[in-house]
Amino acid sequence: MKFLLARQAAVVAALALLPAAGEAIYFRDKISWRSSIAPSEIVTVEEARGWGDTAIWVDARPDDEFASDHVPGAISLNEDRWNELLPQFLAVWTPGKKIIVYCSSLSCNASREVAHRLRKEAQLSDVFVLEGGWEAWLKKNR
Amino acid sequence: MKTPVFAFTLSMIMCLCARAELKWEQTTIELHPAPNDKQAVGHFKYQNTGKTPVRFKSVHASCGCTTAQTQKEEVPPGDKGEITATFNIGDRTGTQVKTVTVETDEAANQKTVLTLKAEIPQQLEITPNFVFWKQGDKPDSKTINVKVGKDFNVKHIKATSSSPDFQAKVGEAGNGQFKIDVKPQDTNKVVASMLTIQAEDSTKVFYATARITNAQTAPVPPIAPAGLKPPVAPAGATAPARPTAPTGQTH
Repeated sequence: MKFLLARQAAVVAALALLPAAGEAIYFRDKISWRSSIAPSEIVTVEEARGWGDTAIWVDARPDDEFASDHVPGAISLNEDRWNELLPQFLAVWTPGKKIIVYCSSLSCNASREVAHRLRKEAQLSDVFVLEGGWEAWLKKNR
Repeated sequence: MKTPVFAFTLSMIMCLCARAELKWEQTTIELHPAPNDKQAVGHFKYQNTGKTPVRFKSVHASCGCTTAQTQKEEVPPGDKGEITATFNIGDRTGTQVKTVTVETDEAANQKTVLTLKAEIPQQLEITPNFVFWKQGDKPDSKTINVKVGKDFNVKHIKATSSSPDFQAKVGEAGNGQFKIDVKPQDTNKVVASMLTIQAEDSTKVFYATARITNAQTAPVPPIAPAGLKPPVAPAGATAPARPTAPTGQTH
């Protein structure tokens, strides 16, 4: 009796796992909108403000959002115009400076992607993603 | 003994039937845009298989790079339609997964997540795309690795420096890979150069930046090659752009 129940439970569980396994295989390369980020690569607004002039702010939002408003002194670097904007960013970067990347809740994955590309492609270190993004900065500063 | 399993299965089927008013042909679309495509468009087709009209309450894309359009706000019973999701590729690379969340007034299953997966082909993968020396460093050459994308056949590449302050020399690294050795003339002054990298017989241009940097001095704007808008000098940068004098070698 117990054995049969356990077997049935196992069968149901196995059936439930099938679609999950399928999804994991299908999206094995990358799930950008779910990409995890190490806690050490996230910075809060308070911590970032404490860094003062030793940090560069990078705005990963689209051009129109950057034009509308941004963190004072921030450099625009988004993936829409990555090839054009990256050299502009590299022109102001200096060794030893921390990089704080932010985006908004509407394009919230953008900061992670930009931070990832700065680490991987430009091989820069000390690249951080701002927790809560532009909205968090606004809340603390205005 | 079989009664519990039968009851469970039946209840699951009944639940599925009860919520299946707006039936989607597929909720995930995989696209393979061509190398120079600006956009990737997915058509998510649906049909109202229920007996009452279904109304779209909201359609939201996961990022600013994706837009989604409905053909109609209300879908009568039996009607078909589609939601068009347009992903603006920009300068993105690799696998991109964007989602569109559709909210309807259905009693069950109010939210449906539509997934657009785009594999953006990359002819050349350049790592790193930035090399730098601190002022006063020994002017040793640094290597940029160029890997040819799996769907491309590239036999030769060329690399050109926009400034005579840097030399770019291309060499083969085997297995469809190349290396570019970048060497500054000296590291006495703060200068920058844009390296233009191109596969032979291809119009697609890739870029890397080489720079002599000093943490104590104002940054220097890099030089834009033809085809790219000149970078805007960042606030505080006073050094003017240097004249362009491409130098380089073709392998």
